[in-house]
Amino acid sequence: MSTSSEAVADSNANETHLDIETLFRAHYGRVARIITRAVRDRARSEELAVEVFLKLWRNHKAQSENVEGWLYRVAVRTGLDELRRQTRQGHYERMLAWFQPPSPAATPEDIHSVSQKQAKVRSVLSILERRQAQFLLLRSHDFTYQEVASILNMNPASIGTLVSRAEESFRKEYIKRYGHE
Amino acid sequence: MDTNSSSRSDGWVDQRLAALDPGAEWQPDVTAGLLRLRELRVRRNWISGRWLLAATGALGFCICLMALPSPKVLAHRCLECSVAVWQSLLPSAPAQSGLKPPSGRSLAPDFNLKDASGKDVKLADLKGKVVLVNFWATWCEGCQVEIPWFVEFQKEYASRGLVVIGISMDDDGWKSVKPWIQEKKVNYPIVIGNEGLGKQYGLVGMPLTALVDRKGRIGDVHHGIVEKTATQQKIRELLQESFKDSAN
Repeated sequence: MSTSSEAVADSNANETHLDIETLFRAHYGRVARIITRAVRDRARSEELAVEVFLKLWRNHKAQSENVEGWLYRVAVRTGLDELRRQTRQGHYERMLAWFQPPSPAATPEDIHSVSQKQAKVRSVLSILERRQAQFLLLRSHDFTYQEVASILNMNPASIGTLVSRAEESFRKEYIKRYGHE
Repeated sequence: MDTNSSSRSDGWVDQRLAALDPGAEWQPDVTAGLLRLRELRVRRNWISGRWLLAATGALGFCICLMALPSPKVLAHRCLECSVAVWQSLLPSAPAQSGLKPPSGRSLAPDFNLKDASGKDVKLADLKGKVVLVNFWATWCEGCQVEIPWFVEFQKEYASRGLVVIGISMDDDGWKSVKPWIQEKKVNYPIVIGNEGLGKQYGLVGMPLTALVDRKGRIGDVHHGIVEKTATQQKIRELLQESFKDSAN
């Protein structure tokens, strides 16, 4: 938080690209990891993460508000948009081949099992309401309710209820599709 | 960021969402990302610059077209030629069905203009003759199709009382017209017209051909390229009308 505050404070005196680069160094990793939760292809996630910062650079209004919240909000949205796009194209099965093994030690069975789980979760997320999917992705990334409210510009008092509803929707849809696996 | 103090409903959803965790071993490459960001920014700046340049260029071009006389004339000419060519190609092109009856004819607007040799050409002086008045220009493609026909008409029917007059609407007047009529061996008088005269004859696009009877009245007006045989027929009919008949 302090890094981004410094970067924004510097924006009044320094050139914008310095601020963006400072923000980039501070938040790029987290932004990319958020997007990766929705998008299986890590290289694609990194590309989308760069585009999030490019959007920030072009959006002067965003630079003057809660930059950190804006970045994560756009990251979640970008990840979900990409997920829905991929779902629409019906390339899910083919994209399994793109999956990169998490570690050289993983056995083919492990990889298959993990990718199957990911595919199921992502397919459910892709059909949930956008707002509910946003809640779940942010919560899965260990953001607190307070932080989720700040990122999504919502009243913190209502976040708990909304997240519970999102979890319930996810549970119902998952069980409907895959049973109690 | 604050620590997470909120409780979760249960672990069922979390367990499934945890499958999406890319794992601690995966760290996005910040350096490569930064380089990509810089590259994209340079590209966007370049594209924006190019768009601005292109838009400025296009605007300048439009201003030139609208403000400077020569491009304006050129655009006007292109339009007129296109109209003329379309008129000639369309099956429903306005081929005139026939001459106006003598009782329905109105007096042709008179003019007194000088030909290439400086001699006066006055329409009113040609009463008793059938006059083919042709508005044309050296740049008009359609005009160049029909002018050789008028040369033929002049040869064939002059002895029977036909006079062809070409009224050039070229902006630079004799400078373009004189060499052109010498080259094409035009055998009838050519004069330089003006906008006012064109308006009087209803000129909206080149070419325009009016047939004036022996009494000085308009028997037919044709916009666009004439149909040779039909025009020839009309000339014959007008020539057959005696001065006395056409006076009705």
